Amino acid sequence: MSPVITHPMKRVTVVCEKLARGPVLALIESAGAHGWTLWEVEGSGRQGPRMADIPEFTNIQIEVVVPPAVAGELLGRLQQDCFPRYAMVAWESDIRVLRAEKF
Amino acid sequence: MNSEILAALAANLLSPAVLFFALGVFATLAKSDLRFPEPLYVTLTIYLLVAIGFKGGAAISKAGLATVWKPTLLAMVLGALIPLLVFPVLRRLGKLSAVDAAAISAHYGSVSAVTFIAATNYLRQVGLPFEEYASAFLAVMEAPAIIVGVVLGRLGHPDRGALGSTLRTAVHEAVLGRSVVLLVGAMLIGWASGKKGAEATAGFFVTPFQGILALFLLEMGMVAARRFGDLKRVGRFLLGFGVVAPVVHGTVGILAARLLGLDTGTGMLLGTLAASASYIAAPAAMRLSLPEANPTFYLTAALGITFPFNITLGLPLYLELARYLIPTQP
Repeated sequence: MSPVITHPMKRVTVVCEKLARGPVLALIESAGAHGWTLWEVEGSGRQGPRMADIPEFTNIQIEVVVPPAVAGELLGRLQQDCFPRYAMVAWESDIRVLRAEKF
Repeated sequence: MNSEILAALAANLLSPAVLFFALGVFATLAKSDLRFPEPLYVTLTIYLLVAIGFKGGAAISKAGLATVWKPTLLAMVLGALIPLLVFPVLRRLGKLSAVDAAAISAHYGSVSAVTFIAATNYLRQVGLPFEEYASAFLAVMEAPAIIVGVVLGRLGHPDRGALGSTLRTAVHEAVLGRSVVLLVGAMLIGWASGKKGAEATAGFFVTPFQGILALFLLEMGMVAARRFGDLKRVGRFLLGFGVVAPVVHGTVGILAARLLGLDTGTGMLLGTLAASASYIAAPAAMRLSLPEANPTFYLTAALGITFPFNITLGLPLYLELARYLIPTQP
């Protein structure tokens, strides 16, 4: 077995109302990310619970893995374009990945 | 007259659909672990919209477009006028901000498909005939109020240039939202396939309809009751508004039906549509087009107050109003 080599990357996580899906995905793509993962979630935040009983009131969680420079660009644009319009939170974390060229 | 009202009330409150709605409310307030999976909610709405649209389309092909276009156009105008009526009331009496007033106006001018479906179900139960093509009213009344609401909310906005793009988003949401696509699509299919198509699909679209509506209202009872917690956050004015506005709009709708010479049952349906408030299409359009408006206000009013009121007390009230205002069958 060849040695396992991992590379530093950033994971950007966005939790937002489902209505923001289109704009956030467009932003992720234009910031230079090569892919994303998305799933429906429920939870509770500063504005009370998100009940997720009707599709329109569901939250989604989006995760992208990108190089650090792209993560900075992405978070900056999220803050500028999306935070004022939609209910959402976002954060980044340090991770290590195999096959850095995929991201 | 009094016993007639009581009978109308009992006919609605003791129908399976409304009793299941009450069960849903009870389950949530009692903190039962009963919960529908979200895909089931979606499935049930697809069924109800397709069934009502298909039956409406078949009815249009039977009645002919020449009969249907005039009342449908009137329904559309009514939908656009209601926000203009509501907006100043919310501004002056309710002291709400322009965007909040505009967003709420859009909800009350737009319509609730489930309330309409429950109304047709109720009319069937009391044996009052109505025109099945009335679902065309439902299809055209969703969008106009949303567009008027967005314009009202953006008029006072400093960035006038944004109106165009905001309106485009709102129009797209209002005209191509999933409920309108399903309803209008099924209506066109029902219209094109006519009587034969209606007969071929009756086993699926007609026979199980009542049971599926009952199941859906069980879920809606839970959905509405989950918003009851917000009632204390919206203030006394909106609580009252959520009950008074539908009655006023219902009366206006029935009077409009009378002007056009519609029969009592169809007049009751137009009244119910005018009285109902949207809680699916309008909130989504408002979140996208007027994000500054507070969702707690419009959602709680439409879904937590007006929807339960209409389903339980509103329907019999509109029936009696229609019987009173449109007494003779044409």
